[in-house]
Amino acid sequence: MDEILDGLTQIDCDILVIGGGTAGPMAALKAKKKNPNANVVLLDKANVKRSGAISMGMDGLNNSVIPGYATPEQYTKEITIANDGICDQAAVYRYAQECYGIIQELDSFGIRFQKDQNGEYDVKKVHHIGTYVLPMPNGDTVKKALYRQLRKARINIINRYMATRMLTGEGRVAGAVCVNTRSAEFLVVRAKAVIMGLGAAGRLGLPTSGYLYGTYENASNSGEGYAMAYHAGAGLANLECYQINPLIKDYNGPACAYVAGPMGGYTANAKGERFIECDYWSGQMMQEFFDELQGGKGPVYLKLNHLAEETISEIERVLHIVERPTRGHFHAGRGTDYRKQMIEMHISEIGFCSGHSASGVFVDEHARTTIPGLYAAGDMANVPHNYMLGAFTNGAFAGLDAADFIADVDYASFDAGEVEAERTRVLAPTKRDDGIPPNQIEYKTRRLVNDYLQPPKVTAKMELAQKRFEEVREDMEQGMYVRDAHELMRALEASTILDCADMAAAASLYRTESRWGLYHNRVEYDRDDENWFCHTILTKGEDGKPAHRKQDVKPYVVEIAEDEKDAYYKQRVGASVAAE
Amino acid sequence: MSALFEEFDDIADLAEGLDDADPGTRIMAVIDLADSADPAAIPYLARAIADADAGVRKQAAQALTDFDGPETAAALVSALTDSDPAVIAAAATSLTELKDPAAGDAILPHLGDTDETKLSACLAGIKELRRPEAMAPATAALAHAAPGVRIQAVGVIGWLQDEAALPALQGAAADADVQVRRTAIAALGFSKSQAARTALIAALSDPEWIVREAAAETLAKSGDASCIAALRNALEDEYWQVRLKAVRSLGKLGAAEAALQIAPMMDIPVPNLRKECAAVLGELAVVETVPFLEKYADDTDPDVRKNVRWALGRIAA
Amino acid sequence: MPLAQTATTVPVTVNDDLCIADKGCTVCVDVCPLDVLRIAESEDGSKTAYMKYDECWYCMPCEADCPTGAVTVNLPYLLK
Repeated sequence: MDEILDGLTQIDCDILVIGGGTAGPMAALKAKKKNPNANVVLLDKANVKRSGAISMGMDGLNNSVIPGYATPEQYTKEITIANDGICDQAAVYRYAQECYGIIQELDSFGIRFQKDQNGEYDVKKVHHIGTYVLPMPNGDTVKKALYRQLRKARINIINRYMATRMLTGEGRVAGAVCVNTRSAEFLVVRAKAVIMGLGAAGRLGLPTSGYLYGTYENASNSGEGYAMAYHAGAGLANLECYQINPLIKDYNGPACAYVAGPMGGYTANAKGERFIECDYWSGQMMQEFFDELQGGKGPVYLKLNHLAEETISEIERVLHIVERPTRGHFHAGRGTDYRKQMIEMHISEIGFCSGHSASGVFVDEHARTTIPGLYAAGDMANVPHNYMLGAFTNGAFAGLDAADFIADVDYASFDAGEVEAERTRVLAPTKRDDGIPPNQIEYKTRRLVNDYLQPPKVTAKMELAQKRFEEVREDMEQGMYVRDAHELMRALEASTILDCADMAAAASLYRTESRWGLYHNRVEYDRDDENWFCHTILTKGEDGKPAHRKQDVKPYVVEIAEDEKDAYYKQRVGASVAAE
Repeated sequence: MSALFEEFDDIADLAEGLDDADPGTRIMAVIDLADSADPAAIPYLARAIADADAGVRKQAAQALTDFDGPETAAALVSALTDSDPAVIAAAATSLTELKDPAAGDAILPHLGDTDETKLSACLAGIKELRRPEAMAPATAALAHAAPGVRIQAVGVIGWLQDEAALPALQGAAADADVQVRRTAIAALGFSKSQAARTALIAALSDPEWIVREAAAETLAKSGDASCIAALRNALEDEYWQVRLKAVRSLGKLGAAEAALQIAPMMDIPVPNLRKECAAVLGELAVVETVPFLEKYADDTDPDVRKNVRWALGRIAA
Repeated sequence: MPLAQTATTVPVTVNDDLCIADKGCTVCVDVCPLDVLRIAESEDGSKTAYMKYDECWYCMPCEADCPTGAVTVNLPYLLK
């Protein structure tokens, strides 16, 4: 295994789904169900059984819109406000209308949601107004249940192949070039439609632990979706709206809001005082978190030690068993007992992830990108704050729409030279006798991301970053060296990470205002609604570098009253109170 | 070129490994059969769950999570009397994953069993399948000596949401075990009957606060105006958790007459309680409570302030 | 060769006595999202899983899915 082999195979399918995590399996299932004759291929660079952000499970739904607890209008309004108004509501509204059906479908797959003693959904409250949190007591079985459905539907699954570039022709998508992560053999997939569900760009910033894989996101989510969409010519929206999360320091896993919050846990400063109004993750919340640390009032903690024993054991059960089970080991290793000590938190590395912010490949309410036949769903598509249920639901939209799309088209022809050029690019690090290994290219890129792109954003620093990135790119293109197929996968990821770093810098420089709290805090600029109440769309320019344009926010489906708009600005506990 | 697609092998071929002399090889066969997701694998897994090796049996019990129906359920039930506790635990977990009501056919005959572990697992398994035939044996199981069994029995009855079960739930609401009582009280939530209300109101005087808390909470679901007096009494409970649920339920029942009793509770130094009081005062929208709310417009707890602002806005509107 | 040999302690350990890689088991290798585990063959022909690449997200499928309980996931030293 891992020996570099020479090989090139071509296959044809109707719909190619890239990414077998959350959105991808649902897209494949829906497409196959709608058109049982369609040849649907699901491809993953890991193994579909345990790939993606929910590899080990999920502790609950953060954004379930269940009749009787919340309405689609209310949800759409809250997400619009949380996203500073920059939101095409159609996709959010459609999600809110249809996600309950997806919950019921997941339930029928064997993914269970918390129910009361009469078997009704047991929804908890976290957000400002509505009630959206639905715990999943057996959330550790999510992937298993999905895999079972894929096998039953006889979806064609290809594991351990990494897609590296989209193929396009006739103004639409034509397929993808893929490479085996254990043999470096090539696979060209011709497809009438391609659905991307490749997750977040989670390996962009470097965690403070310095461990390359100690990221908040599953470290296999290195941003291929963003890079491939970019090179294919698709538009990417609002990339300057980074993902930055409040996490357990060093462990770098989620801490508080959705699990501990409804049970009475909260974020506190060194004195054990609350300093933010609402633990719901938003850029404004992160700004307050940052200010508290900068103001010398840190460390910032997750406080649970005021809660009753029954409550703490329930929190432990959820946090330690589901989603990130090693969390229990981590606390045990440090002798942290929720009953006695508060848990130190910190600010995560930056990334792109619409699951918690809004940066992503631009899509409409059908999950269509700006390239016909190419779809995107889940963390990599720009439907804001969509979390796991959003990935499932938008993945379903993509699968349903793609099933229609393929009915009317044949394969688009593409230039065979594109495949050859991609082979040459991919294999370049295997053709050298020595050079720089991918882990060093990656480390340097990500260290520079931390040094220069981590907010607050400073123009001169971001421009310096761009220079440094160019130097790293030169080193990568001329000198990167790999010894086996596994390292080649890491080399391709390093290249993706560098593309994402370039996009992060370029997008942040383009929007000359501050917005989304800490996510896009540009110290030289204030908020500017007159000029910047718009999406920014990044594409690959003629010169091969990022190009930008503004795009109007579509008229709202659900109106927001003037006095509701600032709900997320005033996050800080009042000064008179903090002094007490 | 290595194999491209995940394969859909013939089940009989995959099952050949089950005859191997080595337990490791048999475990691998079980895993392959599970991954097939093909119902044709069920008989082979049912055989493996009686394997001589405990590791194989445990793997088979886990593997059956991927399947459903009576044959799967029967195999899992048979494993509940295994000599190895790990096999029993795996089978019990898999039983709770069943979705197909028909799977209940294989569980129902065992609901008269007396073994504590087996009966608990069978009751837990049949609960989500909502089989009406389970009502009688579940009711009988309420007399079992083990509280764990009685809790599962209450669960079965609660999920069936059948008014005919009220006497059984009322009985369980007076059980000697506190967790049985608590579960039974929550299970009464589906019923809008006088009998349910009477049981819930009685439970507001239970010696254990967690039962009183459950009763105060559940009254919002099954209660009506006739419960308001009892809930107002519960506002004086010594446990703030009980008071909090009573406040919440009074809000849901629209008990405006309780507003002036709730308003002074804003002075209680428990932020969670103040937060709930403020929200409910907003829901009840009684003008006379404004001064109580205004007093806490700058509360030290941000959630309280938020709710106070919201409540004052609602009363003004 | 200009590449250095830098030692690193790995977070995933495998109990050789329990591992059934000999029987063709590759469950842990298959489920790892980062593909960092491999099967080693020793001189006497016996096989066992091991962590070949120190690129671990400490996510646990290898430990959870191992049929014999042979795999243990520890936290990487840099962050524990």
